[in-house]
Amino acid sequence: MIDADTLAALLAMPAVQRAALGLFLGAVGLPLVGVVIVGLDIMPVRFAMMHVALLGIAVGLLTGADPTLCALVACACAGAAVSPLADRPGGLSGGMGLLMSLAMAAALLLIAVSGTNAASAFALLWGSILSVRTVDLVILGCLAVLVPGLLVRFRRQLALLLHDRELALVSGVRVRWFTLVLLVIVAVAVAGAIRLTGALLVDALTILPALAARRLGSSLTSIAAWAVVCGLVSTAVGFALALLLDLPPGPVLVLTAGLLAVAAHLLPERTHRAWHRTPHSSDPSS
Amino acid sequence: MPPPGAGIRIESLTCDHGPVRAVDGVDLDIRAGSRVALVGTNGSGKSTLVRAVLGLHRPSRGTVAVDGHVARTARDWARRRRECAWIPQRQSAGSFPLLVRELLDGGGRGTESARDAAADLGVGHLLDRPVATLSGGQLQRVHLARVIGRVAAGAGVVLADEPTAALDFDARRDAARHLLCLGVTTLVVTHDPDLAADCDRRLEMAAGRLREVA
Repeated sequence: MIDADTLAALLAMPAVQRAALGLFLGAVGLPLVGVVIVGLDIMPVRFAMMHVALLGIAVGLLTGADPTLCALVACACAGAAVSPLADRPGGLSGGMGLLMSLAMAAALLLIAVSGTNAASAFALLWGSILSVRTVDLVILGCLAVLVPGLLVRFRRQLALLLHDRELALVSGVRVRWFTLVLLVIVAVAVAGAIRLTGALLVDALTILPALAARRLGSSLTSIAAWAVVCGLVSTAVGFALALLLDLPPGPVLVLTAGLLAVAAHLLPERTHRAWHRTPHSSDPSS
Repeated sequence: MPPPGAGIRIESLTCDHGPVRAVDGVDLDIRAGSRVALVGTNGSGKSTLVRAVLGLHRPSRGTVAVDGHVARTARDWARRRRECAWIPQRQSAGSFPLLVRELLDGGGRGTESARDAAADLGVGHLLDRPVATLSGGQLQRVHLARVIGRVAAGAGVVLADEPTAALDFDARRDAARHLLCLGVTTLVVTHDPDLAADCDRRLEMAAGRLREVA
């Protein structure tokens, strides 16, 4: 464990400050993306996007363009391209298996053809929180504003869509449009989180806070609020522990968020006596 | 004054579930404002017919016109779904939590009327409960209240798929009274003989085909 002086010196470093800012922005937007992933039951989509992110990185390495931006564009395009599959009876699962295989094969082929070191492409998948750049902060900042804004503005429609796609459709919700937007956001979020925890550990900031919040909240609004709280708490505690114990931040963040999710599920289920009241029993005159 | 409703005209409608023919060349003309009961055994194609009207099942052949319009584009389908209010047979509790008030608010049309109807149907005190915690009967009454709100907001057709199946005897009569007094075109799939008897017309489906019942 490091001493207080070393901790203070670490916190004064611009790289650490940028990492903390990146984590804060990520902890606001990414858990809400996790709520969408859990709500739409599209876990395979994020796996597929991790593979697509690798393809984007490979394209970046081949062309000399920024690999993270290439991953972002590739994921956004893939998210938009797969959204029509959500209307199919089989949903997105089958298509995601195909996308994963094709994206990984294409990425490996590009890396081989370009003659670049495959390890450098895979290194980006593991992330490096202390190498967060301005462009990464901009992406995370956009997500931190856009995703909560979307949830607040369209909470009625999204609540219905996440609950039951058909009911949303017949209630006049623009299901295809919302699905397209949500899938693009999920894809961009996966790519955007690469620098923080790496694509392979993106669950720490998306799914795990959402899983904890799913247990604690009873509606979209309350689940979203709990997800942000859980995200902020787990990233703050995880990052502080990583600095104090001089451990790699990515795995510590995942373990912290995971423990929080487990703790939330160990809490006894809430009982709501008020739910069992009849209109008469809640009437003081009766 | 509630809207008078919209007529439904179904021509040569054929719907398949893979190799199984669920609806087999059905022709049906429902006059605007009339109340039609659709009865028949399980698996005879009743729900598929209703879902085809809403565009939830793509027909293999044939057309469905509501208020004289056949839906072909996304805009047409949006209009169709504004025109039709639906009580689903599979009243899913959903995998993601939804409060009763959010279900009643769904789509943002007729919310106040839906809440009034919920109070009238005895489920007005359940607004802050997740729908997953409701009994089947309570959920069915919430769906009915939602449909009443949609009608108040201008829907001219009600498509109700077994709307009283989970209700006790008194609640069933109460729900039937609310449903059949809406003053709009109502197509109700039911196994409830009393509800069917109170409708203007009774149709029976068997093996995907339709016939009028006296």
